[in-house]
Amino acid sequence: MSCPKSKLISAYLDKEMGLGEKTALESHVQGCAQCEAALKDMQSMQAAFANAERHQAPYGFATRVTARTAALEKKRSPWSVPLFIRFAEAAALVIVITIGILAGTVMTNERSAVTTTNIASSLSLDLFDAAPPGSLGGAYLAMTEVKNEK
Amino acid sequence: MFFVQTDDDLNLIESFKQGDTSAFGEIVLRYQDKIYNLCRHMLGNTADAEDAAQDVFLKAYQALPKFQPEASLYTWLYRIATNTCIDYKKKPIFESLFGDSGEGERLVHDRATDAPSPEKLYQSKQIDKALQESLGKLSPKLRAIIILKEIEELSYEEIADALEISMGTVKSRIARAREELQRLMKKFREQNP
Repeated sequence: MSCPKSKLISAYLDKEMGLGEKTALESHVQGCAQCEAALKDMQSMQAAFANAERHQAPYGFATRVTARTAALEKKRSPWSVPLFIRFAEAAALVIVITIGILAGTVMTNERSAVTTTNIASSLSLDLFDAAPPGSLGGAYLAMTEVKNEK
Repeated sequence: MFFVQTDDDLNLIESFKQGDTSAFGEIVLRYQDKIYNLCRHMLGNTADAEDAAQDVFLKAYQALPKFQPEASLYTWLYRIATNTCIDYKKKPIFESLFGDSGEGERLVHDRATDAPSPEKLYQSKQIDKALQESLGKLSPKLRAIIILKEIEELSYEEIADALEISMGTVKSRIARAREELQRLMKKFREQNP
């Protein structure tokens, strides 16, 4: 069974305890073989950690990160446009479509009016000569018309 | 406390939020060694460490627009790094914590200056080996907290901030990690006299 005070050794090593607690633990360790051994073990472990190598990022690391963020940015660029610009774009599109529809309707109305007139006049018999022009019948009808006018 | 939110950090974050993506490049340059070092010790090999460290910065890039300036950029990055490493694909880890380093990787720590005797060197190597093996057998959460404390040299307060846990939890978790490491190292020494 381990000594309950051994749990305090970690905080003692890290200097994360008050002066009173520290002094009390130090005097306890002097009389407790178990805590003395635990403290020694932890101190040698701490020394091993202190000797552990510190590694620096490999050459070109930042460049590779930047390339990945640039790729990410490119991928999501259609959505990276600020919200108000996206709304403005949508509004502009709606306005253009509405103008197009209105202009189209007006032009269609005008054209249909003209077409109706043309159809009515094309149906009139006035368009047709009673006899083909330059024919004998045509000459006769012309003489009759002159005679009637007189 | 050896790090605080610097004005430079705040300026870089503000520039980034206003659309200057080069500011993020500055952040990467500033913190790449610390984040890489944490990933390297958490995952135990250079290839996974680089993958994970790149993921950390990619996540940071995506989340930075929502970053609150009240938090420390440094501990925020450590938080992302720790979570990334804990969630990292499970692989046999710790080929080397203290030994061989990968290509292009520079080692900061220079142990040659002490010029220890061959006997001391052997003892030191045995302790290193025991620590390396034992650390690899710790649960990721305990491994993370002990690395933040012993390798990254963060204070309890900084660890609490980085891992979003209370000071009491930091204290008890570090103590548990040490006890567990001590037990594993003892077992290792018994098996490898």
